[in-house]
Amino acid sequence: MDLKVLNATIKKEFQIRLHAYPMSFMVGCILTSFYTTFGAWLMYHYFFRKRLAVDFTELAGTSDYMSYAIVGSLMYLFVVRTCLNVSRTLITELREGTLESLMLAPFKRTSYFLGNMLLQTFMTFGETAIATLIGVFFGLRIHDFSLLKFVVATLLSLYGFFGLSLMLGCLMLYARDTYISQNTLFTAMFLVCGITFPKEYLPSWLQLIGSIIPVTDALTLMRGALLGGLSTESFMLVSLRVFILGTIYIVVGFPLMKQVERIALEKMEG
Amino acid sequence: MIEVHNLKKTYDVKRRQNFFHSTREKVEAVKDISMKIEAGQIVGLLGINGAGKTTTIKMLTTLIEPTSGSYMFDGMDALMNPHQVKKQINMIAGGERMIYWRLTAYENLWYYGQLYGIENNELRRRIDKLLKLVGLEDKANLPVETFSKGMKQRLQIARGMINNPKYIFLDEPTIGLDAVVTQELHEEIKNLAKEQGKGILLTSHYLSEVEELCDYIYMVNNGELVVEGTKKELTDFVFTKKYYAFSVQGMDEAVVAKLRNHLLILDGDSSVELEGRTANISSRLELSSILAEFAVREGLVINELHKLEPSLEQAVIKLSKNIEREEKGIA
Amino acid sequence: MKYFMKVLLAESYKQHRNYFNNRLIYVSLFVWPMFSFLAAYYSYRAFDFGGNIISYISTENILVFILLGYMAMSFFRSVVQSAWNFSRERQSGTLEYIYLSPANRLAVLLGNALSSVFESAVVMFIFGMLIILFNRSALNVNIVGLILVLAIFMVMALLWGVFLNACFLYSRDTDFLFTILEEPMEIFAGVKVPVVIFPGWARIISCIFPLTYVLEALRQVSLNAASISSIKTTILISLVIIMVLLGATLITIQIVEKHMRKTGNVVLF
Repeated sequence: MDLKVLNATIKKEFQIRLHAYPMSFMVGCILTSFYTTFGAWLMYHYFFRKRLAVDFTELAGTSDYMSYAIVGSLMYLFVVRTCLNVSRTLITELREGTLESLMLAPFKRTSYFLGNMLLQTFMTFGETAIATLIGVFFGLRIHDFSLLKFVVATLLSLYGFFGLSLMLGCLMLYARDTYISQNTLFTAMFLVCGITFPKEYLPSWLQLIGSIIPVTDALTLMRGALLGGLSTESFMLVSLRVFILGTIYIVVGFPLMKQVERIALEKMEG
Repeated sequence: MIEVHNLKKTYDVKRRQNFFHSTREKVEAVKDISMKIEAGQIVGLLGINGAGKTTTIKMLTTLIEPTSGSYMFDGMDALMNPHQVKKQINMIAGGERMIYWRLTAYENLWYYGQLYGIENNELRRRIDKLLKLVGLEDKANLPVETFSKGMKQRLQIARGMINNPKYIFLDEPTIGLDAVVTQELHEEIKNLAKEQGKGILLTSHYLSEVEELCDYIYMVNNGELVVEGTKKELTDFVFTKKYYAFSVQGMDEAVVAKLRNHLLILDGDSSVELEGRTANISSRLELSSILAEFAVREGLVINELHKLEPSLEQAVIKLSKNIEREEKGIA
Repeated sequence: MKYFMKVLLAESYKQHRNYFNNRLIYVSLFVWPMFSFLAAYYSYRAFDFGGNIISYISTENILVFILLGYMAMSFFRSVVQSAWNFSRERQSGTLEYIYLSPANRLAVLLGNALSSVFESAVVMFIFGMLIILFNRSALNVNIVGLILVLAIFMVMALLWGVFLNACFLYSRDTDFLFTILEEPMEIFAGVKVPVVIFPGWARIISCIFPLTYVLEALRQVSLNAASISSIKTTILISLVIIMVLLGATLITIQIVEKHMRKTGNVVLF
C-alpha cells in the first residue's frame, strides 16, 4: 500500500469534485431513491391498502414493508453511487487523455482505486443521509438496531462493492462505454438483489445470479442490522459469503484491470 | 457579388457576479467591417484569434444577424432573405468533427444533399462527381471513422459543394493538417475559384496560406479592418520584410548604433532595436551573410543569428502602428 | 411538401444509421425495460391481491398490465434517448451545418424522432408477442379500439420526441432534463402502479405526462375491452396534447432561430 498515492488520489479527486461537482447527477441519484420509495409507498398504502402476501413476513424477516423497501432503496443508491464513481475513474482518464500519463507513472493501482473509493464513500454517506430523511418521511423505522452488526455490515458492503466496482470498471474500459454497461448492471441489480422484494420470489436461475452479486448478501446483512429478523448465526454465515465474494472479485479484478488498460491504450492508438 | 458595409455585431454578455446578481455587458465582436467578394475570386480574411473572423463569417452565412450594417447578396438584401441566401452558399470549416463519423462518405453527402432538397437523380450524379473531385471515389462506402484527417477534410470540401454554392466560406480549412495535405487542399481551393468560378472567402491565421491563395486580402484586428488590398499591394507591407535575431558577446548600445548605421546605408528601411542582449533587425535585404561579415570585421563573437518568419501577430501589430502613425501624420 | 418529406426521411435515415447502428442501443430499448418489468412484477408478489381496489386487475392479468406499461414506457423512453443523443450534435458541430441549410427545422426534428419510433415499434412488436404467448387468457381486447389507440399512441410518442428534441437541442444541461424526465415518467404515468389509485396531488403530477393518457387507454382496450365511447375523454385529451406538443415545438423552433441569429448561440435555456 502506497500512502502517498492514496493521499494524492484523494486530493486530486476532491479538487475535481470541488470545481465541478456533478450536481445534477447527485440529484438524479437521490431522486431515483425517492421514486423507488415513492412507488413502494403507493403500492403499499394505496393499491393494496397495507395487505401483504402471507409469505412476506417470513421471507423478509419483518412485517414492515415500507422499512424493508426503503432500506433496499438506500442501499441501492449507495451501490450505484460508489460503484459508478470508482468504475468510471479510469475511463474518464481515458476520455480526457490522462490515462497514458497515468500509466507511465509506476504506481500501485490498489492505492489509486482505494483513494477513489474512500472519497466517494465519504460523499455518498452524505447523499444517503439526505435520502434517509426522505425515507423516514415515507415510514422508515429502525426496529432492532445492533451497532456491531451495522458496522460489520457497512464494512463488508464497502469491501464487496469495491470488488464489484473493479469488475464494472474493467467492463466499461473494455467496451469504452459507460451509459449502456452501467445501466444494464444497475437495472439487473434492481431485479435480482432483492431491493424492494424478497429475492425468494424470483425463479431459481435469477436467484443464482443474485447470489453472485455481493449487493444481495450485503443488503441482507444491513436489513438484519437495522430491522432484525436475522439470527446471529445466519448473520455470520452471510458475512462470510460477502467477504469471500468480495475477495474473489478483488483478486480477479486487479490483474484483469491491468490487462484491460493495455487493451484500451492499444485500441486508442488503432 | 457579396457586398457588406459597416457590419457591426455587439453581443450582450451576462456576467455572473455572485449567485443572485449578474451584470450585462456589451461586447463588440465586430466593430466595422466592409468587404466585397466577387465570383471567381478568393478573398482572404486574415487576423489573429479573437479578431472577429468567425463572427464575420457567421454573419455572412446568415447564421448570425448583424447589429447594424448592410449585406447585399447578388443585388438582394440578404438580411431580409436569409433563406434565399442559404441556398446559394456553403461553409467549410477546419477540424475533423462536423461530419457523421458512423456514416459512410456517400451517406454523409446524401444526407446534406437532402437537406438542400436536391432532386435524387441529380444528387446521385453530383455526389459521384464530388467524390471523384476530392479523390474519395474508392472510399465512398466506408464509414468516415476509418478515414485519415486529410480524407475527412476532403470530405468536408465535398460536403461544402453539395448544393453547388455560388459562394463558399472557408473557415481555417487547413488547421491541423500536415504540409502535403495542406498543399493538396490549396490546389483544390484554387481550382474552385479559377475553374468553377466560385466566390470564396477564406479565413486563416497563416500568412503564407493567404499569400499563396488570395487575390484580395482583408486584415482584421479587434473587430476592425486594419488594412485591405490586393496581394501585391500588401506584399510591400507584410511579406517582403525579413526579420532577424542577432546577438554577439558584449552586445551594447554602441554595437547596435554601429550596426544600425551600417545597415541603413545598405537599406534605408531597415531597423535595429535592442531587446535584452539581442538585436531585433528588420530589412528588405537578405542579411545573414551581411551580419556575419559585420561580426567578423568588428571582431565580435556571434552568440545567435536567426532568420525569423514574420508572424501574423507581428504583422498585424506593425500594420496597426503604421496606420496610427499615418493618421497622426495626416492630422 | 415534397421537400419537407425529403428532409424528414433523410434525417430519420441518418439518425438510424448514426445512432442505431450501435447494436448496444437495443439493450437499452429491450433489456432494461424487461428487467424493470420483471422487478415490478415480482415486487407485486409481496402483496395480497385481495386488497387491490381495481376491479379489472387480478393475479391473472397483472403481468399483462405491467408488461403493457413497460412496453409503452420503452417506446417513450426511446424517443427521449434519441433526443438526448441528437442534442450532442451541438457539440459535434453538425447542428451548425443543419442550420446553414435552408431545410425545414420541424422536418429535421420530426425525422429524428421518427427513426426512434420506428426502432421502438420493433421492440414493441416483440413485447406484444410475449404478452400473447404468456398470457392470452388475461387479454380482453377491443380490436378496433386497440388499433385506434395504437395509432394515437404512435403519433403522441412521435410528437413527444419532437418536443423533447427541441428542448434538448436548445438546453444547456441536457443530462439534468434527462434524469428529470426518465424516472418520474415510470412512476407518475402509471407504468407500474395504476394512476387511478394515486392520492390527489400525485394525480396532478401525472397529468403532465402524455404517456399517462395513452397508457390508460391502451390498458382499457386490451384488458377491459373498453368501447371507444367509454374512453373517448382519454382519446380527446390525447388529441389535445398532440396539438399542444406540436404548437410548443413550432414556437420553440421559431424562438431559437431568432435567438441564435442574435447571439450566435443555440442554447436557449
